[in-house]
Amino acid sequence: MNHTYITRAIWAPNGQSYDFRLCLGGCSNPPQIDGIPLTGVEAVAPAGQMEIPARAAAVVDATGKLVLPALFDMHAKVELEGRSKRESVTRAGQAAHQGGVWGMLVMPTPGFVFDNGAALDSFADAVAQRSAAEMIPAGCITLGMQGEQQAPYNTLAARGVTILSDAEHVPGNLLTLHHAMQYAAELGLTFAIRGDVPELSRNTCMNPGPTAYRLGLHGTPPCAEEIGIETMLRLAEDAGAKLHLQTVSTAGGVDIIRRAKARGLRVTAEVALHHLLYTDACVGDYDTTYKTLPPLRTQADCDALLAGVRDGTIDCIVSDHTPCLPFAKKQDFISAPQGMAALDYLLPALYTHLVKPGKLSWAELVAACCTRPAALVAPRNEEGEPTPAPLLLFDPQAQTLVTAADLPCGTLNTPQLGQRLFGAVTLPL
Amino acid sequence: MQPRKDLLDIASLRDEELRAILDSAVEMKAAFLRDGEQLPNLRGRSVLTLFYEPSTRTRSSFELAAHRLGAHVTTFTVGTSSVVKGESVHDTIDTLMSMKQDYIIVRHKNSGIPAVIARHCKAAVINAGDGAHAHPSQAFLDAFTIREHFGSLAGRRVIIIGDILHSRVARSTSLMLKRLGAEVAYMGPGSLVPPTAHTGLPRFTHWDAAFDWQPDVIYLLRVQNERIDTPFFPAADYHQAFGITEERLQRIAAENMAIMHPGPVNRGVELCDAAMDYRNCLVCQQVQNGVIARMAILNHLTPQTLR
Repeated sequence: MNHTYITRAIWAPNGQSYDFRLCLGGCSNPPQIDGIPLTGVEAVAPAGQMEIPARAAAVVDATGKLVLPALFDMHAKVELEGRSKRESVTRAGQAAHQGGVWGMLVMPTPGFVFDNGAALDSFADAVAQRSAAEMIPAGCITLGMQGEQQAPYNTLAARGVTILSDAEHVPGNLLTLHHAMQYAAELGLTFAIRGDVPELSRNTCMNPGPTAYRLGLHGTPPCAEEIGIETMLRLAEDAGAKLHLQTVSTAGGVDIIRRAKARGLRVTAEVALHHLLYTDACVGDYDTTYKTLPPLRTQADCDALLAGVRDGTIDCIVSDHTPCLPFAKKQDFISAPQGMAALDYLLPALYTHLVKPGKLSWAELVAACCTRPAALVAPRNEEGEPTPAPLLLFDPQAQTLVTAADLPCGTLNTPQLGQRLFGAVTLPL
Repeated sequence: MQPRKDLLDIASLRDEELRAILDSAVEMKAAFLRDGEQLPNLRGRSVLTLFYEPSTRTRSSFELAAHRLGAHVTTFTVGTSSVVKGESVHDTIDTLMSMKQDYIIVRHKNSGIPAVIARHCKAAVINAGDGAHAHPSQAFLDAFTIREHFGSLAGRRVIIIGDILHSRVARSTSLMLKRLGAEVAYMGPGSLVPPTAHTGLPRFTHWDAAFDWQPDVIYLLRVQNERIDTPFFPAADYHQAFGITEERLQRIAAENMAIMHPGPVNRGVELCDAAMDYRNCLVCQQVQNGVIARMAILNHLTPQTLR
């Protein structure tokens, strides 16, 4: 049999070297290491212990390279304003593929309003025809994300929706949300919501602090997020609904979630990569690339969020990928839209900024970016088992100086532009 | 000195520029006081005022300054233009630049708009106030007025009182004064004065502490109800808590402090009637020096249209 062999590759979660024999065709029962199935692999052995026949199709010496499951991104937007839906899906798929991401949970946006069956069907068609990555839509909590009337949850659930979200919009009417949770809990749906109190964050666009003062911009108080998180926890607990807290940005938020988990609440949480890497000082002189929602906070918040990822309080690191047209981001800081594009170099950025400097281990990265998010939202097969992630090969020695031509998602609103990033992805292995 | 195209805020100016503009203002004032004299500095140049927010004083002050330097002035009235039809700032500027303007004087409610415009056009852009960010011409006229009154700025203590949070005047004037060697503190309602950790300035919340600090200048900010949609303080308390009452005026007079205000004044709110007649009330001097400072600013800038 003419197999391909990958030899002396490091299995990222445990740091040990292995030889892999890849599958020919379908492979139903892949071997596992540390409980993680090795999709596309037929056999595995410690490095040097696998017998490799002389007539092997190919033998790839992967010394110094790593093998890990591809990433699953719990929070991305794919819509490119002013472009067709098909182009949006194509480009996001290409960006994901380049960034080491095999699947993502797609938030509803004005052009992709997942509040009815037809919208989900046409999105599924576009993804099937166009996307290089799995795209799982998050159903809307309310019709049109308007916060008023519940979306048809049975219809959404019948089309495979397991997570509900109104993206960055936090339903202002708590009674509507409470009823939604009571209803949807019976269907086993999870509510993905950001902590916020709209009255407290109205007319604000960045973190309050020396930079906001200097630039004359109004700050979103951290307590708006923290009160919002507390409120969502109590509503979900009362309604018996599963809750996923999106884009936690404050140290206080991490603390509240840690205590909720200690009480045994059914809650998961995510942090956007940019909230681990950048602070409000990066806004500098009105740099709209660094305008995000929630806003970038302080170094103390970054540190607390990273500690939360490491101790499991924060389950997932997400891209919060938000493509914005160049014109939109060229406006003044108050008028410009929030959000960064992050899919294109997600794994190299995670490696360059967190793993390489020793802030996060590979095992922690795999937990936060691969296994935990995939367990929460990955597509299921007919038996209800989650589809296992494909494996990828990662070369940590490779370097890229990112230019506009390297960004398949088609927008430039990313701090990765102009950065030197380490690591190159081969997906699938 | 390197030619400068725009005046966007105080922070981006070099120390030597701050001094050069203030020094040239002294000469401008001498010329200004010789009635009707027009200087040739901007002869043949076109100046456009583009005010997205209502303003009478700052706008006429700039227009007068441009006239006195020999420039041709056009007033772009936002309220009746395509801006109200939803035209973006970029497109408005493209339109105006096709009309060959050398200087654009802009005021806008959003912080950072003048910088966006400046990047986008060859005209010299002067920020006449953007959101809560900066009002650099006010800072020049304030520094000029204090220097004129006291003879120098170094070591002078200025307390700025009122709505610091929303005030571009507080930000620009405090930065200017500090860079010229004066000391600045803030006072106001707790909801309207950001913490010292954000501003880097001492923060007081009542008059006793402010007087103990021994200021030379009491600088009052206008209570800007038009900018505030949610109440920040009980309006009925303001004069008693933060205004210059007649009692406080006595102490101010006894210690020979000066009173300043960027205008327009709310009598009975920021200060009592008598304070406007106080011998060291510099409000009218500030208005006159406003024209002078703006002449000096226009004179300092070099539009790329001229290179």
